[in-house]
Amino acid sequence: MAAGYLGESVIDDVDVEVRSGEAVVIVGSNGAGKSTLFRAIAGLIQPMAGRVVLDGKDLTRRPAYRIARSGISYVPAERHLFPAMTLKSNLHLGAYPRRADPATLELVYDLFPRLRERQRQQAGTLSGGEQQMLAVGRALMARPRLLMLDEPTTGLSPKIAQVAFEALEGLKNEGTTLLIAEQQVPLALSVADRGYVLENGRIRLSGTAKELEGNPEVQRAYLGVA
Amino acid sequence: MRAVILDGLVLGLAFGLLGVGMTLVYGLAGVINLAYGQIVVFAAIVISLLMEDGMSTLLAAVLGVLAAAGLSALLDLTLMRPVYREHGEERTLLGLLLTLGAAFVIAGVLTWRYPDGALYIFVDGDPISVIGVPMAVGSLWASAMALVAAVVLLLFFGATTFGRGVRSVIQDEIGARLVGINPSFVRTVIFAVSGALAGVVAIAQSMSGPLTVNAGFELTTFALIVAVVGGLGSVAGAFLAGVLLGVVNALSAHYIGQYITTIILLSAAALTILIRPRGLLGR
Repeated sequence: MAAGYLGESVIDDVDVEVRSGEAVVIVGSNGAGKSTLFRAIAGLIQPMAGRVVLDGKDLTRRPAYRIARSGISYVPAERHLFPAMTLKSNLHLGAYPRRADPATLELVYDLFPRLRERQRQQAGTLSGGEQQMLAVGRALMARPRLLMLDEPTTGLSPKIAQVAFEALEGLKNEGTTLLIAEQQVPLALSVADRGYVLENGRIRLSGTAKELEGNPEVQRAYLGVA
Repeated sequence: MRAVILDGLVLGLAFGLLGVGMTLVYGLAGVINLAYGQIVVFAAIVISLLMEDGMSTLLAAVLGVLAAAGLSALLDLTLMRPVYREHGEERTLLGLLLTLGAAFVIAGVLTWRYPDGALYIFVDGDPISVIGVPMAVGSLWASAMALVAAVVLLLFFGATTFGRGVRSVIQDEIGARLVGINPSFVRTVIFAVSGALAGVVAIAQSMSGPLTVNAGFELTTFALIVAVVGGLGSVAGAFLAGVLLGVVNALSAHYIGQYITTIILLSAAALTILIRPRGLLGR
């Protein structure tokens, strides 16, 4: 896939595959093109070349709302919650156009007990960590085939980031397929099965999480190992 | 005094609907619809023509509301398309220009074809006493209609999945797309709802006096003022502002003079922008 803005490509020749039940991480520094890749998959921008395929179904150039209904839920770093609605309404909208399934709602509340406590609070008044939980919870309400998380630890303290990743671990164990972009590489590799390293809009490396952890280049650039 | 306030409330409920119709379209599409008053007039002329043909008032009114909804949705699907490709200031400006153009075209065609066009729905019956003030049956009908329309709208936005979806598009369009909502479809539906409200306003207004073919620009002005005072994008705010301004309008007309009312209403809008730019209930 290739994609970008105003005719300038940001990512080029990027090929990413996620198998059912897998957690895959995309590692890369700021501006490497992680968000562009996600936005193109989610249909928020049109890819310049390449295809988006889910379970053998071609979703390329479908509008974002169709891709969302087809089973790809995208949680952008900016979250895009509905600030003047209650937390609960935000979750209910996650299931749009269907009615929210009570069992899924329970699952989300079990995963993030904090959300249960704050059901009636307006989303705009939640803390950063709570908003992130809500954004993930809202995406889960659609029972997606693939959940894409862009920088889920943005704006979170290291401690909360740790908690967030434990929740992601839980999600993975429930069988949710995950594609995560993250700058906190050690944390990301700890939940991932496989990973890709994106640099300047191209895939630089790929492999299992173990292989990447052991790779000297990755260690130097992202793991702080001299 | 009580009679003046009651008259103001009757007018205010209609103002409220006008403001809601205006504010919904602004909240969803970022367009200030300067053709809104002309859609009210269009509905009025359609209903009056159907009634002249001998159709029953009720059926004519229903068809008039549907015609206004259709015209409004048509504006969204045709004239507004280039507007949606723009963002920010460009969108606002292009929206203003194109809807102003549409206003002139609709007003022009209607006054050319029906220079004496007017809708007056006379409701027979003796005045009914409300807290000691005799009220014309027509005014009471008009108020009841406006209230029913307001309640239906609030239920629609508060209690239905689609209504919730509409609010989500107003609050964060990208977020709405990400949860599977199609903003252009929502927009077309809301243009239609806004047009239907214009139809209801036409009926309500014509129950207390004739609504003439040249009332459009004045109605647009009222709708704009109410929407600004209520907070652009806020349905409850627009309704509240409409009722308040209706009372202000009636009081100033009674104690100062009809000539001053529009000036006072415009001042209220200007003051709102200065003191509380978000409007009464705006975010």
